[in-house]
Amino acid sequence: MTDEPGPRTVGRIYVLTAAATVLWLAAIFLAPWLAAKGAVGPARVLYALFRPVCHQIADRCFMLAGHPLAVCGRCLGIYAGFAAGLAVCPFIRGFRAAALPRPTIFLLSILPLAVDGVGGVLGLWKSPIGLRFVTGLVWGTVLPFYFVAGLADLAASRRRRRAAPALEKGGDPK
Amino acid sequence: MDQQKPEYLRPALIAGAIAGFLSGLPFISAGNCLCCLWIIGGAAVAAKLLAGQTAGVLTSGDGAIVGALTGIVAAVVSTLVQIPMQKFNLQLAQRVLDWLSSLGNEMPSSLEGMIGGTTGVLTPGWMLLGLFFSAAIYAAAGALGGIIGVSLFKGKAVPPAPAAPPPPPVPPQGPADAS
Repeated sequence: MTDEPGPRTVGRIYVLTAAATVLWLAAIFLAPWLAAKGAVGPARVLYALFRPVCHQIADRCFMLAGHPLAVCGRCLGIYAGFAAGLAVCPFIRGFRAAALPRPTIFLLSILPLAVDGVGGVLGLWKSPIGLRFVTGLVWGTVLPFYFVAGLADLAASRRRRRAAPALEKGGDPK
Repeated sequence: MDQQKPEYLRPALIAGAIAGFLSGLPFISAGNCLCCLWIIGGAAVAAKLLAGQTAGVLTSGDGAIVGALTGIVAAVVSTLVQIPMQKFNLQLAQRVLDWLSSLGNEMPSSLEGMIGGTTGVLTPGWMLLGLFFSAAIYAAAGALGGIIGVSLFKGKAVPPAPAAPPPPPVPPQGPADAS
């Protein structure tokens, strides 16, 4: 038995991640749409869902139907980048297990976001929402290459651990 | 792989408690608005702690487990920290409102939203719902942080133990010396 997760495991994790990403992005756009339609209760629940991960300051959010999206421009960039990265993932790697990206790639992709974020926090500049979106997009694109590979490895190692005692039992000549 | 199952709980508890504490503090918690900084960073730290206490190379699956556990611990700690902070947050928001009204300014919509959100979290129902959502979201973000942490500090491969040297040749047993 090999240590690497097989294409079937990677494919299954990929499909689940893609489905969750689509739902996540849909919820971001659904919140203001519901608010605009007057469904205040469901809209509040959706806005509350994203509160632990985003400040939701309206001035820093893109608007839809006169209401802010459920996350700010930078977070939207990260999630949109994640979706874009997922879309290109099979063309770059296929559905085979691959090593995690190099630390250099991670550092280069997070650098624009970090510089923009730290500069904003220190009050050195106030970047426009489009730039926030782009810096988030760059970093987000790299993330699925970690996420899918890591979860596929987790699924494969769980299966191995589950199979090990069964193999021992089966291999026991008694 | 032959290595033993790593001990995930201790690093997850340590890093999760710190990340959760930072996520629950006013102002400091804003770090999470920068792509879940405290949670992803905390999970990466947990992966580093795990690498430090585990012999051999960690897999990305190990990083995902320790990161997800870190996220769940952080969600619980953050909610517990936020309970006593609610009063302070409300007082702070009220002070900002008073200050704005003294300037004759209209309250920005974003501030209105933030204050609305703060009061909304006060009820136990919202708090439980928030804990559930936070735990789910922080677990996913933590898993990602743990995997990133493994890619950064996965540890060093333990070289295979050298083969045991052959036993020394047994000296021929001659007849006992008569002298």
